[in-house]
Amino acid sequence: MQVIQVEDLWKRFKIPHERRTTILENIAGAFQILEGKRFTYEEFWALKAINFSVEYGESLGVIGENGSGKSTLLKVIANILRPSRGRVKANGKIAPILELGVGFHPELTAKENALIYGSIMGLKNSEVKKQMSSILQFSGLERFRDAKLKNLSSGMQMRLGFSVAIETDPDIFLVDEALAVGDMEFQQKCMEKFKEFKAEKKTIVLVSHALNLVKDFCEKTLFLSRGEMVAFGSTEDTVNEYVKSVRGSG
Amino acid sequence: MFEYSELVRNLTIKEFKLRYRNSVLGFFWSLLNPLAMMIILTVVFSTLLRSGIENFPVFLLTALLAWRFFSISTSMSLSSIIGNSPLVTKIYFPRWLLVLSSNLANLIGSSLEFAALFPLLVFLGMKITYLVLLLPVILILEFILIIGVSLILAPLNVYYRDFNQIWDITLQIGFFLCPIIYSISLIPQRYMLAYSLNPMTRIIEAVRKILYYYTLPTLADFIIVLVSGLILLLIGYLVFRRLEPRFAEEI
Repeated sequence: MQVIQVEDLWKRFKIPHERRTTILENIAGAFQILEGKRFTYEEFWALKAINFSVEYGESLGVIGENGSGKSTLLKVIANILRPSRGRVKANGKIAPILELGVGFHPELTAKENALIYGSIMGLKNSEVKKQMSSILQFSGLERFRDAKLKNLSSGMQMRLGFSVAIETDPDIFLVDEALAVGDMEFQQKCMEKFKEFKAEKKTIVLVSHALNLVKDFCEKTLFLSRGEMVAFGSTEDTVNEYVKSVRGSG
Repeated sequence: MFEYSELVRNLTIKEFKLRYRNSVLGFFWSLLNPLAMMIILTVVFSTLLRSGIENFPVFLLTALLAWRFFSISTSMSLSSIIGNSPLVTKIYFPRWLLVLSSNLANLIGSSLEFAALFPLLVFLGMKITYLVLLLPVILILEFILIIGVSLILAPLNVYYRDFNQIWDITLQIGFFLCPIIYSISLIPQRYMLAYSLNPMTRIIEAVRKILYYYTLPTLADFIIVLVSGLILLLIGYLVFRRLEPRFAEEI
């Protein structure tokens, strides 16, 4: 059974030379009233002809230089961005841990944020409340349960996001470099959790520059460069190819 | 839909909390605002302009609360998606739930405002009749209208940020196009048909009939509000569905 299936995926972004965000600017642009300003778009293909699939029980590493389309790919899998062409299918509940943890609200407390994330993931408030102590314990935020999120450090925010996400019992984890801001102790704890997930046959999609991490957890790896698929296959082969290409150009 | 009922509840509570958390008087601000407006307008209209309307404070306040429900709900919904950009860019859930939650928070707020109105009505020498039971029906119909308008406004504001200002001006015009500070009897007969097709006029008149004139709103009042609400809901659904896919990119 395939957990994630990506068929001929293309993603285009429109980059305006002069960003138009008001109606006035759009009208002016249409008539080219504002002299010297040309309102044109440039097309930017962040992902081109991506094809791969992840089987049940497998995990996927995604590697490549900055701006190669790794995060865009994760957001398309998470259904946050829609494909311009092609198809993406994911079977199972997805927990995205993108950028700094999860999209929380800065004015709400750690506990309130956990409730909202939990309910987005389809958990009942009663379930989240039951797990609250283990969430706070795992994230090490017991003392800060009633602190507003904006007053927590970036590492603390990530820890909270991660801790809530693992309690929602998803089938697929999308992890985008999130662990990089955690301290060593927390990273260690996360590794333990990842091992548990692997044992439970859950899928982890890991975007990372830490190649040893990818080697430890992912059976398959995808190597992206400028939105194109350079290699896809066993982690060892793909990582070797990546290392070779970096050395070759450097 | 039902799988997200808990999320809608949490988002609604969040909206409500955030709105009043950082102020000392909290919810009372939302009561003080229409009260201050009532006092100012009563002074202006009963001493300076002499409207000649009996018990003008009640005449005004009943309409004002119905109007406030619409104007505050729709203008707050404008920021319901942009204001939640951390959620929208990081996790998927049906985006229209953000609009719904923003509107629900205002439904609660306005219901409380109406509840607070009753003691004041008694104080101002009015009586509360059984007609009051129709008030929730009117508010629900107004709520449908509000969701429809909000589903059009909120996504447009993601793409065009000056929609805020445009809607502000529209609401100011609307305030005077509806019979809030004047009586509907001032409208010349030849404009009457167009004037009375405005669903907000119907809502305001219906609330006023219940609380001020002690008469039953007409069937036409209900039908016009319901039909225009459903039409706007349909348009809102289509607009939202069309603009939703690129929210995360445009936000």
